[in-house]
Amino acid sequence: MLDSFLHQADMFFHAFSAQLYLTNILVLAGATFMGIIVGAIPGLTATMALALLINLSYGMQFDLAISFLLGVYVGAIMGGCYSAIMVNIPGTPAAAATAIDGFILAKKGEGGLAIGAGVISSFFGMLVSIACLIFFTPFVYKIALKFGQWEYFLLAVFGVMICGNLSTGKDPVKGWVVGFLGFFTAMIGLDKVYAYPRFTFGLLQLKGGISLIPALIGVFGISEILIVLEQEVPYKILGKVTKVIPSWKTIRSLIPTAIRSGIIGVGIGAVPGAGEDVGAWVAYDVGKRSSKQGEKFGTGCLEGVAAAETANNAVIGGAMIPLLTLAVPGSPPAAMFLAAIWLHGVQPGPMLPIEHPGFLFEVAISLLIATFFMLIWGLIIAKPVASLLKLRREILMPLILPLTVIGAYAGGVRVFDIKVTFFFGILGYILRKLDYPMAPLVLGIILGPLADISFRQALMQSRGSLIPLLGRPVGIVLMIAIGLIAYSGFRRTIEYTRKHAQLNIETMSEGK
Amino acid sequence: MEKTNKMASADLLMGIFLIIFGIITIRASLNMKVYKTFLDAPGFFPFILGIIFIFLGSIMTFSSFRRKGYQQIMSNLNKFNVTHLFQNIQFRRVMTLIFLMVIYIFVLIDRIDFTLATALYLFFTLYYLKSASLVKIIFISVITAFLITAFFTRFFRIPLP
Repeated sequence: MLDSFLHQADMFFHAFSAQLYLTNILVLAGATFMGIIVGAIPGLTATMALALLINLSYGMQFDLAISFLLGVYVGAIMGGCYSAIMVNIPGTPAAAATAIDGFILAKKGEGGLAIGAGVISSFFGMLVSIACLIFFTPFVYKIALKFGQWEYFLLAVFGVMICGNLSTGKDPVKGWVVGFLGFFTAMIGLDKVYAYPRFTFGLLQLKGGISLIPALIGVFGISEILIVLEQEVPYKILGKVTKVIPSWKTIRSLIPTAIRSGIIGVGIGAVPGAGEDVGAWVAYDVGKRSSKQGEKFGTGCLEGVAAAETANNAVIGGAMIPLLTLAVPGSPPAAMFLAAIWLHGVQPGPMLPIEHPGFLFEVAISLLIATFFMLIWGLIIAKPVASLLKLRREILMPLILPLTVIGAYAGGVRVFDIKVTFFFGILGYILRKLDYPMAPLVLGIILGPLADISFRQALMQSRGSLIPLLGRPVGIVLMIAIGLIAYSGFRRTIEYTRKHAQLNIETMSEGK
Repeated sequence: MEKTNKMASADLLMGIFLIIFGIITIRASLNMKVYKTFLDAPGFFPFILGIIFIFLGSIMTFSSFRRKGYQQIMSNLNKFNVTHLFQNIQFRRVMTLIFLMVIYIFVLIDRIDFTLATALYLFFTLYYLKSASLVKIIFISVITAFLITAFFTRFFRIPLP
């Protein structure tokens, strides 16, 4: 145990010295800055920030590209708090819970203080999540090594099921539908075992399958452009940013909330596809119930801002744990990060510590440096960013389309990928209008090939019988988990149906 | 409440779509070549997905029937008026934006220079959205198109379509 710990510590310090060179630090500083700016602009989510800025990583060396993407990710999640607090429009969905108390504080003229508390809480959240990432990931690697084909298949199904369950408020079946549609999308192209074309309709371009990044950019980028621009929603800055840095006494009072919310954020982040928004809401709810000042939540309470902001940033480290160990992203921006590192030739999974021994620590160090830059930038640029929020969305959103086009094209240098992006953008728009979540769709596209190959190979190994597969310990745990998720999801769907059946009868009888 | 009713009818349509889609998927998967056994055949996993789609589609159809989705569709069909649909500002806005995207992606890109295509797309979109004065729109469209092209090709050496 001690040897293992010392070995980890040695690897950490080795990675630390390796990552501390000027270009890397400058890249991290720039990336965090850009992430904050993009994240602060309403309508531009952290996933969109990664989708847009991934273009810039194509021309970079591998190490710098990873640092760049992590810096953008960290900055964008925190950046969402500016507009949530100042304009009551969360820059990212992850900052929605921040707006509850933050905006009330801004109206009271304490917007600067709320931003300061948000930035410092995000900093604490990142520190907790990086510590958990370093400590827990090696253990998960060991568990992941026990995974056979059957367990990988169950993991893929578990990922889509839990993501579908968590990302839909009322009707989990909708989440599962899009998750399995994601699986179907992944089936398009040549079969990985026999190179047999599936659902290609004779189109040569489809034989290569649907590329992940164009699909992701479409689902999150183009659909977002349409969602934002379909309505003209003018907004203006309501408050002015005054004092930003809270007193030491205030910071100290926020530490228990930050630790609690940080741990919640990491836990939620480690659940496939759950994401930063779920983490922030859960931490806010737990904070409201367990804090001594719980009754003040929702009335303009710094602790409320701290609970939400700590958790949404802590999700980042949590989301990296299943991503690095099992290649299952914990959140939609993490899915974008996974797609990007695939593009740079890294295959996460249990073999990662053997193929790229220092990768975990490089990620942790990059996150750590980005965290410090996030704190510095976050406090320095609070006032200018508040001015930037005045930029009208009718100007901003159209400018994003050419960037999504470049993002889709640059990976494979195929015009066909731009058309794929457009198709997924329209699909994403329609599904979002019908209350379908996007996270399970993305997770389905990512996990589809794993589910397909693993299921077929597991059945081949067991000579077509399920019986030998049912007695494997890790598999039993996953099957129980899938069963419980299905049970709770169907129960929610039944309750939703009953409740709305009654409401609709009443409405129709009133002749509305 | 109105949204709930709309969702009930939309869910019914989606449920029926999923059942049909599931049947088509199963048919297509059974027509795929079997090399050794069906268990490792290319069509095996799509076959399972087809069954899942039919199952989930049935649940959605049943749920929306309970929520009076069918009555909502019939009521909407009776009231349906194409003129009303096109008079809906939000619908018109989205359709116009999609049309401009189609022109940009399917007509302009790869046929004319990327910078010119981008400038044209931005000009017409910003003009339609009445984002700024005409002079400002021209300035923003041209400058942005040039900046994007220069930034990605010169600075990051990324190929553009």
